Amino acid sequence: MIPSDHFVRFYNEVFKYLDRRGLLQAYFDDIGRYAASRNLEKFRKGGLQAVYDYYLVIRKEENCEMDMELRDGEYHQRMNKCPSLSKVLDNDASASPRYCLHCPGWTLPVYTAAGLYQVYNLKEPDQPHCESWLYDDPKRALARYRELLKTVPASQIRTNLPKALLEE
Amino acid sequence: MLRYQENNELHRNFHGSTDNAMRFVEKTCGMDALREVLRTTGRDVYKSIREKLARGDASELIEHLTWFYYRENAPFKLEVSENEIRFEVPACPAHVHMKKMGLEPTPFNCLQTEEVNAGMCEGTPWTSTVEHIGPDHCVQIFRKEPSK
Repeated sequence: MIPSDHFVRFYNEVFKYLDRRGLLQAYFDDIGRYAASRNLEKFRKGGLQAVYDYYLVIRKEENCEMDMELRDGEYHQRMNKCPSLSKVLDNDASASPRYCLHCPGWTLPVYTAAGLYQVYNLKEPDQPHCESWLYDDPKRALARYRELLKTVPASQIRTNLPKALLEE
Repeated sequence: MLRYQENNELHRNFHGSTDNAMRFVEKTCGMDALREVLRTTGRDVYKSIREKLARGDASELIEHLTWFYYRENAPFKLEVSENEIRFEVPACPAHVHMKKMGLEPTPFNCLQTEEVNAGMCEGTPWTSTVEHIGPDHCVQIFRKEPSK
């Protein structure tokens, strides 16, 4: 058995293997389907509050150093020390340079299906921190996206806002 | 001493994620690929255990097995002799937790134990096998070539 404590180091090996074969995005899509099977209905019914409640459990069980705030139709999450990437970096095996992409890789499709809009700042992929904002109103997500673009390169941002809205 | 000191909260749902990752690799790349990824995990992630085994020191392997099964609340029986370690787990904690989640482990879920253990032993005087006694019950066996 791979201990649940060590799952992310196995995950990292899977990412490296699949990345060499051009299958990483297909795997992120698969993770999204798996996550949806467990969470989509909760997120659809409960909206931002359900996502906040989900991350309360994750913050505790996964030992995240993370600030969370749900206020006035916005869920803001600031990961100060990601336990997942921290373990992958504290590892005798090398880290996948695309490790961080798995998070928006699964959240964006699940939030899209739940009718929620995420703006995700990946920051530096070799540092265990990131920041995201979630809304049920696409216009507020668009405003956040545009605000973020003033200080961060577009390549560092992930969002599930519709293309048509981004190009307006 | 353990290379990876884990002693805080446990997120057991990762057993489901491990199983899902195994399914994906097997489905897209085949069983040999899955064996390779698992064996690489054993060899590279657990480099510290492997290097100690190569020097004839099984202390970290024994500590790894006992600490992480203890952390998962799994009963186990450990027998250690000069050239053999037998680690019996009557109710695999990964399978027990997945069933609580309403998930059925893949038929090849136990490959994670077989191949990760084999990776830890790669290039050392030790070999590993797994005796399957029941669907969730196994004995992990590590044997060392007797010193000449």
